[in-house]
Amino acid sequence: MAKLILNLIHRPEMVPEYSQKVTGHGKQEDLGDQKLLNESLDIFITQQRIAHECGLKTTIQMTYSSLFNDEAVEIAKHDHEKYGDEIALTLLGLPCEEFRKKYKTKEFCIWMFSKEDKHNIVDDVFEKFYEKFGFYPESTGSYYMDAELINYIKEKYPSVKCAVATCFEEGPKAYHTCNNSWYTLMDGGPWAPWIPSKQNTHAPAANKQEDSGIVAIPHLSRDLLACYDGNGSNFGTHPQNVLRGMIYDTKTWEFPYFYNLVDQYRYQEKFNNGYCYNMVFVGPGWMNKMGRWEQPYELLEKAYKDGCNYYGELKKQGQLVDMTMAEFADHYRSIKTYEEPECALWRDILYGSNKQLFWYLDPYMRACINMDQGGALVDLRPYVSKLDYEMGVGSKHIQDVSYPYLIQEKYRAGYFTHYAGEGTIRSGKICHNGEEVDLCLCRTHAHFNNDNGNRTLTLDPVEIEFSDLTIKLVSIISFKQGSSEIEVTRKIVETSDENAQITIKEYMVATYGTTEYPEDMGSIVLHNDEQTMNYEYKCREIIKEGSKQISSDVTPIDTKVVMTCENDDCVGIVREGYAFSPMFTLEYDVTVNMKEDVKTWLKLEKLN
Amino acid sequence: MAQARKIKLNYRCPQCFMRDIDMDMFYDPDKKEYYCLRCSFHGDEKRVLEKNEEVRLKYLDMSRRFKMEDFEKFDD
Repeated sequence: MAKLILNLIHRPEMVPEYSQKVTGHGKQEDLGDQKLLNESLDIFITQQRIAHECGLKTTIQMTYSSLFNDEAVEIAKHDHEKYGDEIALTLLGLPCEEFRKKYKTKEFCIWMFSKEDKHNIVDDVFEKFYEKFGFYPESTGSYYMDAELINYIKEKYPSVKCAVATCFEEGPKAYHTCNNSWYTLMDGGPWAPWIPSKQNTHAPAANKQEDSGIVAIPHLSRDLLACYDGNGSNFGTHPQNVLRGMIYDTKTWEFPYFYNLVDQYRYQEKFNNGYCYNMVFVGPGWMNKMGRWEQPYELLEKAYKDGCNYYGELKKQGQLVDMTMAEFADHYRSIKTYEEPECALWRDILYGSNKQLFWYLDPYMRACINMDQGGALVDLRPYVSKLDYEMGVGSKHIQDVSYPYLIQEKYRAGYFTHYAGEGTIRSGKICHNGEEVDLCLCRTHAHFNNDNGNRTLTLDPVEIEFSDLTIKLVSIISFKQGSSEIEVTRKIVETSDENAQITIKEYMVATYGTTEYPEDMGSIVLHNDEQTMNYEYKCREIIKEGSKQISSDVTPIDTKVVMTCENDDCVGIVREGYAFSPMFTLEYDVTVNMKEDVKTWLKLEKLN
Repeated sequence: MAQARKIKLNYRCPQCFMRDIDMDMFYDPDKKEYYCLRCSFHGDEKRVLEKNEEVRLKYLDMSRRFKMEDFEKFDD
């Protein structure tokens, strides 16, 4: 089994997130409160001690506020010398008296400042770092960094080679979890390290020209099923995340889920050419001496020790290698090509269900296949468009920089809708003598294969019962590296009637957006070969026998979605929606006998 | 009646937590109970802790330790 690569990151945040609210509740705000400063530094020292006791090196991401604290600077220098920790620089942790006085704002999110302010703050922070350490950092990061910010930093401070650049699925769900007060949304990004493109941070670079020059890592490694279904902040490789989700035994304070999460990430090496990765980044606020929510400090500390200890034990057993961020960036570039996808075959490890998802990520798309819905495509982000989404004040995306979806079954319904209309999903319907069965209702599991660059899922056969016919059908879903295409093949492997015929309707219901709410569909154009229909919410359709290509121009996100079908005697259908169902549908209907396969392709292209 | 406040352990509302909302509760010293500003939950510490155990009921595999060979093994 390949070694798990670990990035363990600490930041001395002198006014930690949450701490001011907790420690200072009932008092007027005081960023210079000595008690708060002492406590903050104590937490950082504790985190460092625990990591080193477990035999792990860390990346110390100095915050702006910590650069004004001589003790924090000295600790970083000492731990660099003694343990080989990297001294890096985060753009989190800006709040402190000095920052407040200088910039006269309570804003603390570098990613949402205006472009001009971002540049000024970056220069200020980087120069302050240089003043204290005599060199510029190789690693940086924030909760999110848009492409413009990464490009600026890389140009001005070329030593930077690694950055924390997004947080997986921290969009509307995080917003809701925080009582609608978490005004920053960044769904649709990678869950594992990637090389961001110069155009859009979330979308990986396809080649050297698009390469931003850094390796990006996500803020934590998240449970790829629990975080997709629910609140992202409860299910990550952040021991305090797991406590936040109350996923521990209140009597023993044990949390086997955390170890299962780490181990399932270790298991991903099977799908990624022997590579697997974890990122741990616990802000000091989560180890507040006052405790955090239901958890007393003793539990917070124990959880952190237990988490680090597990990684430490893996290292001792030769199953883990701890790297600093800069070391990891070099390693990543030595083992990865631009077009090599990241894959994850992920099962439920928490709710006791048999649900299984497959995540696929490359420079052209991020896709999620749900085996609990017969292998339906339930989330699709067209990275091929490399949308130029600058974030922050003065841009069109002040708070919401989520990479738009074409399909998102949670936000915009999937198979099931109330009362009327359709939800976004890519699935198939099997029809026979007036009966119809959607594969979304056929629960199954997948087996992964990597063959000559094709990442292929072969699903266990599903049984479909009609009143006078029973068949078993296998779906094969294939991602050809670099093609921007998903190939779907349906094969009948068993039948109760060799002479029967069925019709397979391969369909995709899609829309676009970043949240749960609909967008204006007015500029969408549907095509069925040479015929065209402008979207006018009139519930119309174009049907064509022998159609070679059906497609939709999703103009607002600069994306063209194309479907083609291998079977000559297919019927291509494009369908517009209506106001209550603001979707569009691309569909191929193919009637086959029991020995024929049906094969279709879904391709994403940049529109302009 | 004195104002509500936070005390040592700062409980979240279990009812809101069940719908994925982290909502701090406040403590009413007169009634000796925690209460939620968002929904109608209220109760003493015992009730909060009982509800928190109910929250955990959805985690059927909370105590299970998976082995490597379990990640592609299903019980159906």
